[in-house]
Amino acid sequence: MNTTPTRPALRGCLDALPLFIPALPFAFVFGVVVAEAGIPTWLGWSSSPIIFGGAIQVTLFTLIGEGASVAAAVSAALIVGARHMLYSVTLAPRFQNQPSWFRWVGSYVLIDQVFVLSQIKPVDEPAAFRRYFLAAGFTFWTLWMTCTALGVALGPQIPAHWRLDFAAPVLFVSLMMAASNRPDKLGAAAMAMALTYLLAPLPNRSGMLIAVVITVVIMLLSPRKVNP
Amino acid sequence: MIAIAIILTGIGSYAMRAFFIFALARYTFPPVLLRALEYVAPSVMAALVISMMTTPEGELVAGSAECAGLICAALAARYSGNHILALIAGMAVFWGVTWFN
Repeated sequence: MNTTPTRPALRGCLDALPLFIPALPFAFVFGVVVAEAGIPTWLGWSSSPIIFGGAIQVTLFTLIGEGASVAAAVSAALIVGARHMLYSVTLAPRFQNQPSWFRWVGSYVLIDQVFVLSQIKPVDEPAAFRRYFLAAGFTFWTLWMTCTALGVALGPQIPAHWRLDFAAPVLFVSLMMAASNRPDKLGAAAMAMALTYLLAPLPNRSGMLIAVVITVVIMLLSPRKVNP
Repeated sequence: MIAIAIILTGIGSYAMRAFFIFALARYTFPPVLLRALEYVAPSVMAALVISMMTTPEGELVAGSAECAGLICAALAARYSGNHILALIAGMAVFWGVTWFN
């Protein structure tokens, strides 16, 4: 299952490109949110390199636009981004046999798509893993910096009724299927969907995180039928 | 004030990503924990999908077009393993069903 590509950096760039497509309309949504919150475009854009997380940035500026206090907006944005802690735990074993600079730099580009790429395209050899991870991460980074700049500059140029924003759940369904390469993992995905729906009324989308934790615990406690 | 909010959120989100990578850098993972971590990726992706299809108040906003699009994307991903193809299939079905409704 684990493979070491001959050119991991190139592979990382190429694997990252298609996953960025759904982030494109999101960059324009971000532009609209910044404009509606009445925040100067350069200040709004500065959150891209400082925060580097689409949903976190959008949550922060939506709440600021609604007149929330800094404390409330920041804590809500961080709760929305709390799933990154799960990525941090999950990838911790892969960061063990790595130089410490990679822990500093790698953490910065640990976003949804980079996390899932590291899970569905496992690279065994540490140096190759590092190159693959950083190439994918900084490909996203460069595209996100460019597209959010266009987003805040151009604002609502894409008509909302095209529903390009639907590309995001479509991509994540596709990523979910790629990550569910065993029946028990597919079961975990189905359980997480049901639990997230049940817990959806909880504030700041915290239900999502609780749903994932419950799912992982139940999967762990249930007797294992599949032995790879 | 907005600049402070951005900087605080930036520090917080970096800390969340880095925390366990640093905290567990010298920790030997027991096999049971490594097994648990295998379920994180499918669960988080599944939870993200539902999260995107619900309002912040927890109401599901998925009609027939959304459901058809997501199911087709899932099937296309399953049988092709290609995310671009899954994206095209999901969006095409979504727009198609929206058009007919």
